[in-house]
Amino acid sequence: MQPFALNYARPAAELEATTPYAYDSGLQLNVLRDGRIAARDHGLMRELGTTTSTAGSKTHFDD
Amino acid sequence: MTVLILTSEEDVTADMVVVHLNASGVPVVRLDPADLPGGVALSGEYVHGAFRGHLSAAGRLVSIGGLRSIWVRRPGAAAARAAVPSDWLTEEASQALYGMLRGSAARWMNHPDAARRARHKPWQLHLAQRCALPVPATLITTFPQAARAFAERYPDLVVKPVSGTHPQDPPLAVPTSRVAPDTDFSAVAHGPTLLQRRVAKRADIRLTAVGDRMLAARKATDQDADPGEIDVRFAPSAAPWRPVEVPARVAAGVQAYLRDAELAYGAFDFAEDADGTWWFLECNQSGQFGFVEVDTGQPIALAVAEWLAAPGQERPSRVNDRGSVVR
Repeated sequence: MQPFALNYARPAAELEATTPYAYDSGLQLNVLRDGRIAARDHGLMRELGTTTSTAGSKTHFDD
Repeated sequence: MTVLILTSEEDVTADMVVVHLNASGVPVVRLDPADLPGGVALSGEYVHGAFRGHLSAAGRLVSIGGLRSIWVRRPGAAAARAAVPSDWLTEEASQALYGMLRGSAARWMNHPDAARRARHKPWQLHLAQRCALPVPATLITTFPQAARAFAERYPDLVVKPVSGTHPQDPPLAVPTSRVAPDTDFSAVAHGPTLLQRRVAKRADIRLTAVGDRMLAARKATDQDADPGEIDVRFAPSAAPWRPVEVPARVAAGVQAYLRDAELAYGAFDFAEDADGTWWFLECNQSGQFGFVEVDTGQPIALAVAEWLAAPGQERPSRVNDRGSVVR
C-alpha cells in the first residue's frame, strides 16, 4: 500500500551537522568562536551548506 | 519603525539580511515563535475601540503598532519549546501571535494567508499557466490507468511529491526522479502522484524575486552527470551558480505571478532546455537564497533588507476577501 512516489525515496541525509557558530541574542546574529559574524564569511557558509535549498527541509515546505 | 523577523536562531540566511538592516540603522527584533511562551512574550489589549500590543524577546520590547514590516522567514511552530508543549498550546500561542500581527499595519514578506495558498504545488502550476509561463505537461492522479495513459503520451517522465515535503517517520528524501517507461503504476492508487514530462535541461535556473526586483542565477547541467540524477538539490555538482539575465517574457510572467499570488518574495525554479526556454517548475514562497548569493555575489540579502526597511503602503488583497486590504 505504499504510495507510488515513495518507491523513489531514499534515506534522508543528516544535515544537522555541528556548526562552528552560535546565536548571540544581543546581536541577533550567529557568531563564530573568534567573534566574527558568521554570515559575513561566505566561504564558510558555502562549505557548511547551511544556506542551500535542502537546509531546513525537515521543518519547512519551502526550499 | 521596527522590522520584525520571525525565524529560528540557526538561520544564518536571515543573518545576511540582519547585517544589512543593522548597517542602515533600521531597528530589528528577531524572534522564534517556538519560544512563545518563554523567551518570547506578548501582550495586547482591545479597549475603548483601539488595540495596543507589544512583543518582547531577548530584552527587546516592540509595539505592534510600531512595526514597519514582518518577515516570516523560517519560524518554528509556536510554543514548540514551551516548558510543557502541547498541540493545544501551539494553537493558542499561534493564534495569539499571528492574530495580533494580522491587525498591524506592517507590510508582510509574505502574508501568512498568501503563503499558505502559495505552498500548493498544483495551484502554482495553474497560476504559472495563467501568467504565460511555460509549464511542462503534468498529471496529478490516483488513477493508475490515467498514469499509464500519460506515460504513453510522455514516455520520458519524472515523479515528485505533490506537496514538496518529505516523509519524517522515518525521515526520507523524495527527490524528483525519472520514471522508467515500463514502470508498474498500480501504486498510484495509494496516494496522489505527480508525474511530469521531463525537461531535457541544459541548466537549472533559480530566479529570486524581491518586490519588483528579480535576480536570476543559472547552474549549467554537468555533461558527465548521471542521467538518473535530475534533482539539482540532491545531485552533486561542481558547477557554480552564475548570474543570468531574465528574458523579458519570463520577467513579465513572474511579475504577474507575484501580483496574483500576493507575494512580496518568491524563489522560482525553472529548467532551461536546449532551445533556451525556461520551463516553470515551482515557486517557493520562502525559498533559500543564501547559496545563490555566496556563489554569484548577487545582492539578494540587501534587496530583502531594503524591501523590509521601506515605508509601508497599502495594497489590495484577494487572499480571502476580494477587494479588501491586507497590510
